[in-house]
Amino acid sequence: MDILDSLKMAGTTLAANRLRSALTILGIVIGNASVIGMVGVGQGAQRLAAEQFESLGPNLLFVSPGQPGQRRATLTAPKTLVLEDAKAIATQVPAIKEVSPQIQNQQQVTYGSKNISTLVIGTNPEFLTVRSFDVERGRFINEQDLKRNNRIAILGPEVANKLFGIREPIGQQIRIKNISFEVVGVTKPKGSFLGSNQDDAVFVPITTLANRIIGRTSVYGLQVTFISVTAQNPASMSAAQFQIRNLLRLRHKITGEDDFTVRTQEEILTIVNTITGALTIMLGAIAAISLVVGGIGVMNIMLVSVTERTQEIGLRKALGATQQDILIQFLIEAVILATAGGLVGTAIGMGGISLVSSFTPLKASVAPMSIFLAIGVSSGIGLFFGVVPAQRAARLDPIVALRSA
Amino acid sequence: MQKLEDKKISEVAATGKPAIVRLEHISKVYGIGETEVIALNDVSLVIEAGEYCSIMGASGSGKSTAMNAIGCLDRPTSGRYYLDGVDVSQLDDAQLAHIRNRKIGFVFQQFHLLPQLSALENVMLPMVYAGISSSERRDRAVAALTKVGLEKRLNNRPNQLSGGQQQRVAIARAIVNQPVLLLADEPTGALDSRTTHEVMNIFGELNRSGITIVMVTHEPEVAKTTRRIVWFRDGEVVYSHLTPEEMLHVAVAAT
Repeated sequence: MDILDSLKMAGTTLAANRLRSALTILGIVIGNASVIGMVGVGQGAQRLAAEQFESLGPNLLFVSPGQPGQRRATLTAPKTLVLEDAKAIATQVPAIKEVSPQIQNQQQVTYGSKNISTLVIGTNPEFLTVRSFDVERGRFINEQDLKRNNRIAILGPEVANKLFGIREPIGQQIRIKNISFEVVGVTKPKGSFLGSNQDDAVFVPITTLANRIIGRTSVYGLQVTFISVTAQNPASMSAAQFQIRNLLRLRHKITGEDDFTVRTQEEILTIVNTITGALTIMLGAIAAISLVVGGIGVMNIMLVSVTERTQEIGLRKALGATQQDILIQFLIEAVILATAGGLVGTAIGMGGISLVSSFTPLKASVAPMSIFLAIGVSSGIGLFFGVVPAQRAARLDPIVALRSA
Repeated sequence: MQKLEDKKISEVAATGKPAIVRLEHISKVYGIGETEVIALNDVSLVIEAGEYCSIMGASGSGKSTAMNAIGCLDRPTSGRYYLDGVDVSQLDDAQLAHIRNRKIGFVFQQFHLLPQLSALENVMLPMVYAGISSSERRDRAVAALTKVGLEKRLNNRPNQLSGGQQQRVAIARAIVNQPVLLLADEPTGALDSRTTHEVMNIFGELNRSGITIVMVTHEPEVAKTTRRIVWFRDGEVVYSHLTPEEMLHVAVAAT
């Protein structure tokens, strides 16, 4: 009996029991759809992260206080990175282009009776180019503002909308921590970065924020949240990283472990990818469990099917089917069912993914490799869970099988 | 009854025709020790080519066990069984399957047609396991169905056929691989008297065309149409060569 006959025979049998076949593959369908869906969303998240990092601006490095592995005594970051460090980097590191220190602080911002809590970012004029922000109306911080501690503010579009609605904010006075600031500009929408909305922010001169609102916070000077640095070109990234590190070790008089971290954009992206990758694997694993459960479902129904078809098996044996013929017949049925389930499940999963990517910013997608893998694994599951029922069928005694009514 | 007693001393293949079935001291024992049941006790039997023979006996007499042994569905506990000259008593499962496929045609009481297949496909089934090419399968299946008078019902499903027609499909399936032996297990048990007659006619025709037929039945009316009756009692062959008239006497005595 050749494989073509077996396939045809299995097809006839499965088609004759359409409802049961459909119910049998349901578990595999759901399992496959969830695997594809989860992996697709995970891969989409990774792609989104990559896109957002690209939108940050080219050749970017971040200097932040503390070490990632450091055991922290408090919830806040160590107060080791100060404004003076940023100035030193700007003047003493040859491989860099621009430096933009940032102090970030959640503050109450009020206009008239409106009161919102938002991120107040103290920074310098270079911020625009370093972080690839644009001003939509009015102007950004300039050197004058820094020198004179001017009480001016530039609003993110979302803050402008929340406080002023459709009215023009430029020229209006807002209050940050009860100090009056004049709105001089509004930035262009930038979207969110890793879940934080970059448009929900107020930008003020870093000197104004330091001197009028926060004050000296660290024994070494004015503590900054982090420093964004751009390198001259992509080739000088690692040189810049190396030089900044040396400079800061010198400035901080460090002989042992660094009390700061210099990371390139790529390094951060790698970290984010590691996290989203782990998340994808976890989601995929949970979905894979449902695939296995689906396989057990196939086995269950196949076992019932063997019992139901005892007479058929007995007859086939009487007509000359060997144990191997029967084994192959039932295995093929199981594999066909599971593969069909895999195909349908994948189609549903892909449908779900395209829904997600059309309704959310997540550009969910699945590599063709994952699709082949998912369908292949489904077939494998069918083969694996088909063995027990197929063996039971193959070992049936034809006499007993024929007599069973 | 003296004449009947003589029949017990059997197993003399007097005609010189080749033996299709030769059972030599076949025993079949189920279970062991306390629960031991002897289903066949030292049965010897010869059925020659071209014979048309019934196996009769009360239920539990061992006739079904004998049938299973003759049909190569079961191996005897001891003794030798030569089918068409080949010792099949110690073959393994795969070899027995091959023997069943090539040498034996089965007809069952419950027809055992596959409901999802057409008459033609049902008849082609044994040839699938014989590895015959699909074009030849079709031709031979059509020929077999024509032989049983169902050439106009090729594509009907079993549920679109009457009981008699279904049994005729089963007979076509049994003869399509040109077996040396046609084994029928209560072939008329599920049929009314008219279709019984119809099916028996086909068996008669097949036998006249040279096919050896062995049929298990408990209906004297059916057994009467065969030419030789083997009578089983308590796992033994008590009469091996009854004529239909003699059988009627034995049947009356047995009830």
